[in-house]
Amino acid sequence: MTPLDEITAAIRTVLADTGRSAPDIAPGRLLTADLGLDSLDLAQTIVLLERSLGIDPFRQAAAVENRPTIRTVADLVAIYTSALSSPPSQTP
Amino acid sequence: MTTAANATTIAHLADAPPEDRLASAVGLVARQFPDRTAIVAEAGGDARRVIDYATLAAAIAKLEAEVAAARPVGIVARARRVESLAVIAAACGREHVPVAFLAEDARDLVGELRDWVVLDDSLALPAAAAPRREFETVPPQVVVATSGTSGPPKLVEHSWDSLLAAARLAEQWHGRGWLLVYDATRWAGLQVWLQALLTAGRVVVPVSRDPDIVARACVDEDVSILPATPTLLRRLITSGDRGLVTRMPLDRITLGGEAADAPLLARAAELFPAAKIGHVYATTELGEVFRVGDGRAGFPAEWIGRQLPGGARLSLRRDGELLVQLSRDTAEVATGDLVERRGNRFEFTGRRSDVIVVGGAKVFPRRVEEILRGVPGIADARVYGLPSAITGELVAAEIVAHDPLPAGTTPDQVRSAALAVCRERLEAHAVPRVVDVVKMLTTTAAGKIPRR
Repeated sequence: MTPLDEITAAIRTVLADTGRSAPDIAPGRLLTADLGLDSLDLAQTIVLLERSLGIDPFRQAAAVENRPTIRTVADLVAIYTSALSSPPSQTP
Repeated sequence: MTTAANATTIAHLADAPPEDRLASAVGLVARQFPDRTAIVAEAGGDARRVIDYATLAAAIAKLEAEVAAARPVGIVARARRVESLAVIAAACGREHVPVAFLAEDARDLVGELRDWVVLDDSLALPAAAAPRREFETVPPQVVVATSGTSGPPKLVEHSWDSLLAAARLAEQWHGRGWLLVYDATRWAGLQVWLQALLTAGRVVVPVSRDPDIVARACVDEDVSILPATPTLLRRLITSGDRGLVTRMPLDRITLGGEAADAPLLARAAELFPAAKIGHVYATTELGEVFRVGDGRAGFPAEWIGRQLPGGARLSLRRDGELLVQLSRDTAEVATGDLVERRGNRFEFTGRRSDVIVVGGAKVFPRRVEEILRGVPGIADARVYGLPSAITGELVAAEIVAHDPLPAGTTPDQVRSAALAVCRERLEAHAVPRVVDVVKMLTTTAAGKIPRR
């Protein structure tokens, strides 16, 4: 599965777990305005992704300091794609 | 039923110096009933071992002589077998040599015990690097490591007097079978095997904590006294083979290590109508503070501010943390346990360090667990905090589904039902965000629920 597939699946689980129906989850969708995700939902998404992808790009100190704005599904995909392609040990 | 070893003599053990009592008790029983079983180890397994009092007494006498000759500064008991721990404790007490019991997770602390010699199951005493000169003048002591439930393990020094303060020598306690599910090197475990061996009883150590093994060991080895954490008892009740569990010949269940909740106490009373069920409030640092024997959760509200039978005084901090003052001339100690008044009782709401903070809001995991355990299809639950870069922590849960589940019900449906009930009864931040259906809950070496 691609990062987009994993992210889509995670968001679906979050919405289902919280008793909400899953709208169309496309890369251009806004996480808050379109999908209705709050910070708890995002935190859960990240935990689910850590389980499926084996990484949590938000836990690394550098990532927290220069955390890019996460507004859309595509923003999330970019963060995970970049984290997956650069092993964390190479961070200076 | 075998005659108890001379009851009056055992009762008179209390007159002996506390450090002598273990060796004296074992010697006493060994003389009168040499074949009597002292320890059943690995009960329920292929390697089941039975150690009688004569064997135990002989090993104590042998080690005692070696310790007297070597005069070590102190002895670290690094043995795994209960019989070895008992032999080391008895010989050290007799010879006034300090002894330390270090649980697996506290082994690094051995560095704090400089020049002490380490003794394992071989009971072969290495030559002491620095023998003690003034052999008789050092007060005998016992060093125990805390369980590290809240914070890293640390060493706590006790006198033999405080170690044995809770042991009951009266005749009703003689010759009984005691189940040891606790780690034998920790405070709670030490209390169990010391109590059993001081009163001509049997220590029964099951080969594992698997509920069926534990139940089987109790039935086969005639265990009548079960000291356990609420977590272990709950596991036995919810996952053990019902036919086996109800045949356990228990007449006493003593819960400790965690708060015992009302539903568990009620369930246990129903399953074991012949057993007296109580709970003990004790910590490695303080020892036993009080016992509650009325079968209800928490303790009577009027105990706050009053001196208890054991001499301790309880008080409360403004935020509900329980404070204990052991005696008039000792300082008040903050226990880290939070209590809340419900009617004429104070009930435990959890440990301060257990509180999960989600985006600045507090969640008491015990409350979430109680709700989960009430969901149809759920046998048991553990709630803990997961670190999160977004909200600080996130509430997570493990649930054990009833086995078997009602026909047509899937574990996934139980999980969804659990979430639905939590959403209805809890604030949004307290609803578990990660819920796993597991066969058995994760527990610590001490048999408690880990919260992180």
